[in-house]
Amino acid sequence: MDIFRQFHYSVESRMMCLGKISIICALAALTLMVTSSTQTGGLQPGFGPAMVAVRQAEEAGATKSELTDLVTLLNEAVQLNNEALKLNAPNQAEKRVALLAQVDQILLTVESQAADLTVMSSHRTYVGKVLDYVWGAIAAVLLTVTYAFVASIREKYQIKRTFQMKVSLR
Amino acid sequence: MLLVASEMIAYIATIPRPSEQFFQLYLLGATHTASDFYPNQDTNIRPGEPITWYVGATDNMGNTEFVSIIVKVSNATIKAPDDLEALPSPAPAIAEFARFLQDNETWEIPFTWSIPNASLYQGSVHILMLQINNQTYQIPDWSASNGYNFRIILELWTWQTEINAFEYGWIVSGEHRTAWLQLWFNMTNPVPPPPSA
Repeated sequence: MDIFRQFHYSVESRMMCLGKISIICALAALTLMVTSSTQTGGLQPGFGPAMVAVRQAEEAGATKSELTDLVTLLNEAVQLNNEALKLNAPNQAEKRVALLAQVDQILLTVESQAADLTVMSSHRTYVGKVLDYVWGAIAAVLLTVTYAFVASIREKYQIKRTFQMKVSLR
Repeated sequence: MLLVASEMIAYIATIPRPSEQFFQLYLLGATHTASDFYPNQDTNIRPGEPITWYVGATDNMGNTEFVSIIVKVSNATIKAPDDLEALPSPAPAIAEFARFLQDNETWEIPFTWSIPNASLYQGSVHILMLQINNQTYQIPDWSASNGYNFRIILELWTWQTEINAFEYGWIVSGEHRTAWLQLWFNMTNPVPPPPSA
């Protein structure tokens, strides 16, 4: 009888525990919904990869002026995307699809141009770094030669001065 | 020895300098200064009365960023964005302005807004629409007792490539930072002014 009661109590406590968990989960979901801190703003999914491609080009060493054209294209895509989102009437569906297709095309162009720029910039950055180290080595050789030259002149001058010294008797 | 020193100088010359990364969000009044936010310095506005501001954002993150300025309308009871927890205001987004910004680039937009109409019901003023730059946006039925303490909140959101979405604020060295602005206004008289002759 005691075993049965214990079993009954354990089932009841588990049920209560599950209930509590589900309430906590529901509250957490509600909190997340209310205070959601992320959103996509109705943008085409292509914006993400395009942004990543531009960042890669930037990290590879692309200059600001090289990136200006890509950023201009991206802002054009944002503008077209916004225009497309305003077309909600059923008779505007065709125009909306056309605009979104144009957005996707621009984003693909950006991705492809950014990839080319990444290759070019990383090559340029690599060459630039190698040249910096080469210049460092050349500077070191020049400094060594200059130092040796100055040291030899100084030594010669010291010898000459020694021979020019006069011995005077007191 | 000299070779090692020269190579070290070359290495130092090639590594990028660390700089502080941040965004700037600002709001200017009709005269493009930090004043004249409301006509005649009166925060009590009338329906249909246009108010001109300039909203701007500057990217000092050291790279290209995709930013979004989200406009929210709220009253005194809805929470403002939480700086400590880096949470946006729970008020729903009314309008959104997004743009890609290059490093050190400032983006400024003229922000002319008005409340086309409002109604007075049981001592509370209700606003249902917001017009920004000649575009009308539906807003949830916000009300304020006697029309006092409405506010417009502007939040800066940035595109996070890891989650492929805009996120409130931005992250620098694992730290979440935020930028937001709010301006309060009253609408104690929801009757539109008579048309001028």
